[in-house]
Amino acid sequence: MSERRSAPWKFAAYAVLGLFTFLSVGPLVWLLYSSFKPTPEIVMSSIALPRDWTLSNYAKAWRLGDLGTAFLNSVVYTSVGTAATAFLAVAAGYGFAKFSYRAGRVAYSLFVAGLLITVHAVVVPLFVMESRLGIYNTRLGVILPYIAFGLPTAVLLATAYIKAVPDSLVESATIDGASYLRVFAAIIMPVSTPVLGTIAILTFLNNWNEFIFAYLLTSGRKLKSLPVSVNSFAGVLNTDYGMQFAALMVATLPMLLFYAVFRNQLMRGFAEGALKE
Amino acid sequence: MKTKNLKGASFAALVLPATLLYLAVIVVPVAVSFFLGFTEWKGFGAPRFVGLANYLRMFKDPIFLHSLRNNLLIIAVSVLGQIPLGFVLAYMLYRKLVKGTKFFEAMIFLPITVSPIVVAILWNMVLSPVGIFPWIMRRITGNPDYVFRFFEDRNLAILPPLFVLLWMFTGLYMIMFIANLQRIPRSVIEAAVIDGASEPVILRKIIFPSMVGLIFTMTIFAISGSLKSFDLIFAMTGGGPARYTEVIAIYMYSNTFVYYNYGYGSAVSIVIVALSVVLIALSRGIFKRLEDKYE
Repeated sequence: MSERRSAPWKFAAYAVLGLFTFLSVGPLVWLLYSSFKPTPEIVMSSIALPRDWTLSNYAKAWRLGDLGTAFLNSVVYTSVGTAATAFLAVAAGYGFAKFSYRAGRVAYSLFVAGLLITVHAVVVPLFVMESRLGIYNTRLGVILPYIAFGLPTAVLLATAYIKAVPDSLVESATIDGASYLRVFAAIIMPVSTPVLGTIAILTFLNNWNEFIFAYLLTSGRKLKSLPVSVNSFAGVLNTDYGMQFAALMVATLPMLLFYAVFRNQLMRGFAEGALKE
Repeated sequence: MKTKNLKGASFAALVLPATLLYLAVIVVPVAVSFFLGFTEWKGFGAPRFVGLANYLRMFKDPIFLHSLRNNLLIIAVSVLGQIPLGFVLAYMLYRKLVKGTKFFEAMIFLPITVSPIVVAILWNMVLSPVGIFPWIMRRITGNPDYVFRFFEDRNLAILPPLFVLLWMFTGLYMIMFIANLQRIPRSVIEAAVIDGASEPVILRKIIFPSMVGLIFTMTIFAISGSLKSFDLIFAMTGGGPARYTEVIAIYMYSNTFVYYNYGYGSAVSIVIVALSVVLIALSRGIFKRLEDKYE
């Protein structure tokens, strides 16, 4: 087929894709090398490569922005939230897929409706509820909404996946006298590894980049996540450009590594997520 | 009887943890928001019932209407910009018009992994006097004092955030299109080519009809995603300058957490949900027609 295609089309394709690639990666490349550039050099010429490569921007950002604390918080929120969402979703998915209860169908449709609910529809009451329960400004108070907001997509993915697991596999084990919870641990969990992976990767990305819960449900520096700390940097210190670039890099670098490793799974996850709805 | 109980108990053990947490964090607060939307409440004491007053006040407030307009623009850019562009890119890669399709795919998808907060600050710096954009413009226009001034105009101020949203999300739609294009059997297209069908005909008769369902899903995605767009604009402009770039979610935020009008803020958040439900119902109607036409 390819010989039928004329050169102008190919040229146009290269031009369009090249432009998009340049636009997508260009600002990030600029961010990367500028983070090693002393601020006076940035002011002198924004585009030039650093003459004196320096790590001092990073050292300063890390110290003044208390990024170490924020980094640690982000790691805790993201990993605990992701693990809990994935585990709860697969358990519920097994219940919805293999037990035909009316209550199950009702609960499932509630999760589907949850796809439309925005953070903003719940944040006011949540803030009030958490204050009254005494979990406002605690790690738990941040992690619970992370888990809950990961659930709708995760439950949908898990249910669809477990539905496709042959009933015979589950039934033979049940007849052999294995309890339902044993079936869950011994059969469902192992065969669900691929969907667990998809859920974990999508949820991890969302949790790492989450902003509004960590911003509104905590006060003071100790419990802020990276996006929240980085955001507070932008307004206050906006003339120390080098430091700002470094702070942005600290928040971005883990995700770039994550992307380098899990790129294919991530793409598949987004594509699947779109197909399942 | 005993096994039946056991089955029920196991079901509960599996489903309840997720469901209860979901009810507590999402369903109950939505219900509470709905109730608070009809009240005036400052966060302490008893909420005072005010009927529809919050909703009436909202639709008379020019700032709310301006943020509604900004939200609709965001939806327009998503549905009419990101989705078609995503398709064009996906189609070029799918038909292998270029070499190194994996490379282009990976690079164009990359922005999706970067936090909206980082994206916002990064683009602010790109546009700032020490950024790359003015640097390029100074060389193109020959004016050494060029600075970016879009934010000073009430009508144009929303354009930079719109562009950045396009920058962030086009790759996502591209990936979804590629995954779906790959499900069309190659043989169908090859047969059409042998029959002498031209590229536009293949596009219209084979490709487009099989994308209708996906485009609908994407439209839903885009609508609910657009109404949620808070992080990016919050970090990029905070709704400013002079509330030019405010969107409904930021309007809600400032009324609630800056002015402590919890009742009013709740009413705004209910409007966000209602709006997305209405728009999605509307697009469902449009797509139902399109599907009928192609089946």
